[in-house]
Amino acid sequence: MKPVQLFCWHFMAYPYLAKDFDEKEYSGWVTVPNRLWDNTKARGLYQEYIDQLVYADELGFDGMVLNEHHQNIYGLMPSPNMIAAALTQNTSRGKIIILGNLLPLHLNPMRVAEEYAMLDQMSHGRLVAGFAPGGGPETFNYDVPSANTREKFWEAADLIVRSWTEDGPFAHEGRYFPLRYVNLWPKPLQKPFPPVWIPGSRSPSTMTEVAKRGYCYFLSSRSHGGETHRAQQEFAAVLEKHGDKYHPFRFGILMSTYVAETDQQAREECEEGVWYFLKNCLKGHLRRVGRQLTYGPGVPYIPAAAWREYMKNYTPGRKLLGDVENWEELEASQSIIVGSPETVTRRIQSLIEKAKVGNLLIQFQLGNMPDHLARKSMKLFAEKVAPALRHVSVKQFTEEYPGINIEQSAEAIH
Amino acid sequence: MSGRIIDVNNRKVQVLESGSGKPLLYLHGFADIHSVKESWLPLHEKLAQHTRVIAPAHPGCAQTDENKDLDTIEDVVFHYLEVLDALNLTQFDLVGSCVGGWIAAELAVRHPEKIRKLVLIGASGLFVQGALIGDIFMMAQPEYGSSYTTLREMLFSSADHPMALEMFPDGKGELEDEVRRYQMLRLSSRIGFKPPYFYNHSLINRLHRITSPTLIIWGEKDNFVPRSHGETYAKLIPNSGELRIIPGTGHSAHVEKPEETAKLVCEFLEK
Repeated sequence: MKPVQLFCWHFMAYPYLAKDFDEKEYSGWVTVPNRLWDNTKARGLYQEYIDQLVYADELGFDGMVLNEHHQNIYGLMPSPNMIAAALTQNTSRGKIIILGNLLPLHLNPMRVAEEYAMLDQMSHGRLVAGFAPGGGPETFNYDVPSANTREKFWEAADLIVRSWTEDGPFAHEGRYFPLRYVNLWPKPLQKPFPPVWIPGSRSPSTMTEVAKRGYCYFLSSRSHGGETHRAQQEFAAVLEKHGDKYHPFRFGILMSTYVAETDQQAREECEEGVWYFLKNCLKGHLRRVGRQLTYGPGVPYIPAAAWREYMKNYTPGRKLLGDVENWEELEASQSIIVGSPETVTRRIQSLIEKAKVGNLLIQFQLGNMPDHLARKSMKLFAEKVAPALRHVSVKQFTEEYPGINIEQSAEAIH
Repeated sequence: MSGRIIDVNNRKVQVLESGSGKPLLYLHGFADIHSVKESWLPLHEKLAQHTRVIAPAHPGCAQTDENKDLDTIEDVVFHYLEVLDALNLTQFDLVGSCVGGWIAAELAVRHPEKIRKLVLIGASGLFVQGALIGDIFMMAQPEYGSSYTTLREMLFSSADHPMALEMFPDGKGELEDEVRRYQMLRLSSRIGFKPPYFYNHSLINRLHRITSPTLIIWGEKDNFVPRSHGETYAKLIPNSGELRIIPGTGHSAHVEKPEETAKLVCEFLEK
């Protein structure tokens, strides 16, 4: 049984906003004015962030995680594949997880199939191929009509995997991406194809589609109260229904952490970066101040019946992660785990115990956190937190999931 | 549920009907029957005193089945040709508001012979350089957790207009109203989100085909479909009079001033 897999996730936030950004600017997404981009300050920023990920590989993290965002200060990776290409040249061990390419934004899914195949070859089979449909902001910045996003997304995802596994040329007779000559060069290195991860936010239909295909489900929520445990149970039930069995490596979560020598020091060192992240980077996404772009009736991608169910329990004006007002509220949200190695170990361990999750995708660099602090936190985590988590999780997973051959994992179903 | 369900080529279509006399087909927009309200608004009640008003709900709206294969205005037009067959409507008056006005214009350029008289109220559908149709999808995303002020501003003369507040309240409205609003946005996302934004580039060059007498009505200050679109319709539809402005109203003139709108429409139809 393998231990919990610990991955280092970098969002690559824009860290040079003025102190009065939140006061002056309406949003951090889509319409955030690009006159705020400062070329002088930003020189070398990508290198700093890439180097942090390379450092994660050196520290023994199980991999590095990238994702795609557009027109925002939250994540400066419109093309995560470019960063992934850089990582193939500077790292040697860890998985390169792209979570994911936003398929409906691509004119032709074959471009993603090709770039992922290149990355798998260039990294000697270290690619984890994530596919995501995109949310509200992408609807606006790439003009993706919402109503058929999900259908388009699954057609694209299936076409990509088919192009990886089936000899070409073949014709794809699809509704959205009909193609006469599908004939992929190069092919990916991993057989039958790179692991596929799909993010979701507890929608039963996404879980079902993931289960049908034997992929890994990644919960994109940033808060980890009881919801994470419920998501795990829901996904496990969906897998059972499809004649499959849950194990911890079918499931992943996103979390943020900061580790320092003591609890007090940890809080002091990370607070500026944390608030920058919560108040600036989440503005327009997970804040009720300004316009909430991520989810709402203006991006109607779920069927009307699902919207009715959602509305029944919806509380208008409820607090989102970025609306927390003080440190205590933040702690309670279990989104950003801050403290000494002991505190962080204990809290993450309890999360693994409850949520039975085998893939932790952990954000270390938050907002405008300086390079040296992000690195110190990563190092302390790798040296003082990771060993304990690995040790305890192997024991837990072996007891709870005896007889499950993890190595076979998701792909074998195909 | 009000009205009845008819079968159109194995899809359910909800149709409301009221009044008697010559048939009038009413195609709804955003602040309207089927897209917020379950039943008639004052405008329709007034029209029904003079004529037989027939108001189907668009595909995916109210109780009408969603059609997943629908992704352009052409598909909506074809749907309505089938609805007309099912309703046995061969010649009728056609009134469309907002997106419904766009559909009405598209029907009229293809089948001018079916339309006795045409009324367009704040109709989208045209590309007019420098006068972009508003981004209703962005406005439909709540501000400050629960505010739809900017959505109401786009659709009415003022965010505080009583009808605006009734139809698009802050927070959470009546569940079924919420669902109908959502359904209308979902249909609109199929035909009006990806550029072209609520327009068909070809429509402007086809308007000359409309033969019926046509009345174009616009709100005084339309923040969704700029008034220049109304002027363009009035200029290019051969048998159309001057653009008629309803003072003090926004995009939803027919909801804000139903008496005045109904009076204009009835006078035009009876002329």
